[in-house]
Amino acid sequence: MLRVRQEQETTDGSQAFYNCELMSENNEKKVHGIVAEYTSVDTLLAACRRVRDAGYEKTDAFTPFPVHGIDKALGIKPTVLPWIVLGAGLTGTATALVMQIWMNAIDYQYIISGKPFLSLPAFMPVAFELTVLFASFGAFFGMWALNGLPRFSNPVFTDPRFDRVTDDRFFLYIDSKDGQFDRGGVEKLLGDTETDYVQTVVDDDSSDKVPKPFFVIWGLVASLSVVPLLIVLKMRVSHSSQPRFHVFYDMDFSPAKDAQQYSTLFRDGRAMRPDVPGTVARGEMQADLDFMTGIDMNALSVIDRPRADRLVRSFNPLYQTEAQSAQESKPDDATQAEKPNVGGDPVGGDPAGDKSGTEADKSDSDQPGAEPTAKPSVMDTTPWLRVNPLVLDEKVLANGRKNFGIYCSVCHGMNGSGNGLVNVRAQKILAAEWIPPSSLHQDTLYADKYPDGKLFSTISNGIRKMPGYSGQIKTRDRWEIVAYVRALQLSQNASIDQISESQRESILKEQAEAQKALKEKADAEAKAAQDKAAKAAKDPA
Amino acid sequence: MSEHSAPAPKSADDPAFMLPASLAALRLPLCAGGLIVMLLGWYLASGIGTDGGNFGMSVYLTAAVYCMTIVLGCLFFVLIQHLVRAGWSIVVRRIAELVMVMVIPMGILFIPIIASLWTGDGTLYLWDNAEYAAENGLPQAVWAEKLRWLNQEWFTVRTIGYFAVWTMLALFFFKNSVRQDQTGEKAITDKMQYWSGPAVMLFSATTTFAAFDWVMSLAPMWFSTMFGVYLFAGSILGAHCLLAVASFVLQKKGALRDEVTVEHYHDLGKLIFGFVFFWTYISFSQYLLIWYGNIPEETEWFYERQLGTWGGVALVLIFFHWMLPFAGTMSRHVRRKPGLVCAWGAYLLVMHYLDVYFMIMPSAEQGDAGGTLGVVASVLCVVGMVSLLTGLCLGLAQQNKVVAVRDPRLGESIAFENI
Repeated sequence: MLRVRQEQETTDGSQAFYNCELMSENNEKKVHGIVAEYTSVDTLLAACRRVRDAGYEKTDAFTPFPVHGIDKALGIKPTVLPWIVLGAGLTGTATALVMQIWMNAIDYQYIISGKPFLSLPAFMPVAFELTVLFASFGAFFGMWALNGLPRFSNPVFTDPRFDRVTDDRFFLYIDSKDGQFDRGGVEKLLGDTETDYVQTVVDDDSSDKVPKPFFVIWGLVASLSVVPLLIVLKMRVSHSSQPRFHVFYDMDFSPAKDAQQYSTLFRDGRAMRPDVPGTVARGEMQADLDFMTGIDMNALSVIDRPRADRLVRSFNPLYQTEAQSAQESKPDDATQAEKPNVGGDPVGGDPAGDKSGTEADKSDSDQPGAEPTAKPSVMDTTPWLRVNPLVLDEKVLANGRKNFGIYCSVCHGMNGSGNGLVNVRAQKILAAEWIPPSSLHQDTLYADKYPDGKLFSTISNGIRKMPGYSGQIKTRDRWEIVAYVRALQLSQNASIDQISESQRESILKEQAEAQKALKEKADAEAKAAQDKAAKAAKDPA
Repeated sequence: MSEHSAPAPKSADDPAFMLPASLAALRLPLCAGGLIVMLLGWYLASGIGTDGGNFGMSVYLTAAVYCMTIVLGCLFFVLIQHLVRAGWSIVVRRIAELVMVMVIPMGILFIPIIASLWTGDGTLYLWDNAEYAAENGLPQAVWAEKLRWLNQEWFTVRTIGYFAVWTMLALFFFKNSVRQDQTGEKAITDKMQYWSGPAVMLFSATTTFAAFDWVMSLAPMWFSTMFGVYLFAGSILGAHCLLAVASFVLQKKGALRDEVTVEHYHDLGKLIFGFVFFWTYISFSQYLLIWYGNIPEETEWFYERQLGTWGGVALVLIFFHWMLPFAGTMSRHVRRKPGLVCAWGAYLLVMHYLDVYFMIMPSAEQGDAGGTLGVVASVLCVVGMVSLLTGLCLGLAQQNKVVAVRDPRLGESIAFENI
């Protein structure tokens, strides 16, 4: 290649050297631009201003350290990056809030720490973090994008003196893509500034092709990186007899005992502990003991103070009266200690035929040494509540029906006549010593003889073979069942006059149809019997 | 730093460095008028409620704490600029120095608060009332421990101690800076930078405990270790806002026209933006932890502050102390307009008062801030106190220069450029 070295006088008398390639060689190498070198900030800035004033826009300055005011000198417009950062940050905020609201308040509502599903204070830290994260990504990747990165190289690196840009030299570059670019003009302009070095930037002799080994490596890395994913996918659709593999144990193997496990910490060996006496289930804390026992506690404390105190104590273990502590020193030969959760047989009561429903009889249980001949049952002497404390409306009865169906109908039957599934089964297998469940329609169980409070107590504590249901059914629900039982009793024992006018007609119609069907069935059976008898008569014996 | 040759600063006697006459003329009117308005507000507030002046003292305390936070913020500004050897802030540092000396009048203004401890029985601070434990069902063992810290004598000693420390710090840095106006010695700068480290530590300790004593003890059974930082966050924000406003006003009246440039407003704007978010972060962190734990012992303070109108005030703080200024001061185009920076500064100074009001007034036993009269009285009291202190500050400024004229790095500060 032929090089011509031209010596030229510059304005300040120093000599400058220009390297020019001959035309025939030029066409092979693309001219990317022209770069000039400066030795101080001021000369650089002066040159920048001249280049800016001349109208060039695709320019760049390279300095070893940030130079204040260079943006203005070179006419660089304010970047759009802050807006990218703002947009990215707001996207982060929105993403975080939408994600948390969707996950915690809509898709899988999860109570955390008793807080509402959608609790903004709890969502703020994540929203803050994602805002900052997305904004940072916006700043970093936005800056890369605006700078045209990543690129393999910048053509200006081919210049031999450009290495000093990180040391003590300053460079100004005008890109050939600039609309006004014209080699001669640019060289003249730059030559006019205080520089000793103006150079065309062209590609050097190194190849611009990516070396082949790189493709091999990239291909290898890409294919290898897919392997773990494939392993995971395969595992998700295959079965294994091996237990799950825990990469990080974290808190996977909790030493806390599961239900039904054995524990050496307690004498009975159970890890599960029973309720502390006096435990009240959530929502079951009632101040109204009448409501909780079905007994008029005021009346009871007059009739039988010790028993009233025991009842109170069963709900509040800390309750003590002087009478109670005095009583405890004497042997208790009177009424047995009453624990509401145990279905106890009433003393001296007989199963299905409680005759007296009175409550005014004084119990002589407090007097030690007395030998009563026919002690009235505590089930009869207790001052039961006669009226259901709930206000009866459709909702109460509907709920009562629902719970009756769940808990009671399995023994007592859906209509309360005692022929529930358990009884059906017992009859079928001819169970020995089977006492059928009571029919609720005996008149001994009607409200006059069996008050609502007594019915409530029976449901709660049980009677004979029936267990108490206070552990399974909430207090209010039990009263609702009482109301429903009364409705059931009425339903089997009502006259047509008690039905409202609007429903009477349809019921009478149904009744008529049912009677007609029965009659037809009876007639058909009679006819069949007649036919059979006639046929038998026809055959000679 | 820029290798530009910094422009030669003007001579130390240049009128651009002195307090403009129009402002100097306001000294007496501001002092006298401010005092009268403050007393009027206090008097009106004392008439509200029947609990022996608790409301009046609360209003006064709000105004005093507000002014104190600004003064302390300026003190911290001076300390931190020395600590990090900042160059940009030298042109505005004198304004902060002038304000920080106001800690002395503040000490005098705090006397009624201490006096109310000794004369009344729980007028302002409920723990001072002998019946407080019994009335609120507090166990004696617990209350006895509280009283070991919260008693008249020790509280007074501590308050005097805080003011002693702050006065010492303020005067040290002010006197040295003023002496440098005469001599221009670099050794003074070195000395101030050397002592700024211990000074910052002293400042942090005293400010934290002052916040606990004066504001947090209004609810004696409540505590928050963040509280000192919370007060400090508002304080440092207020100081930067004041610097922006003061610079703008001074420039409007003819001083510092060439010294404080758009670059300084840009930096002040950046810091205002940063401290708006810092305040938000701190106050929200304090709220979040207490909200999440939901422990009744801790939630009482916030519970009071979300009932009724106080809940509305909290929402106002969220939208107008956080979101609006955050969005408003975000852009560099806003920050590079001195008028806008001044406007946001003034706006945030008002919001900072609302924040201090929100801290203190719900504990005043009127619940509803005393109705319209109570709010008017509060505003009068604080406007009066601010005017009084402004007048005193102008008096001090008139006797000194409004910029550190012979600071060795003044030229660098004037020539300072952002990107």
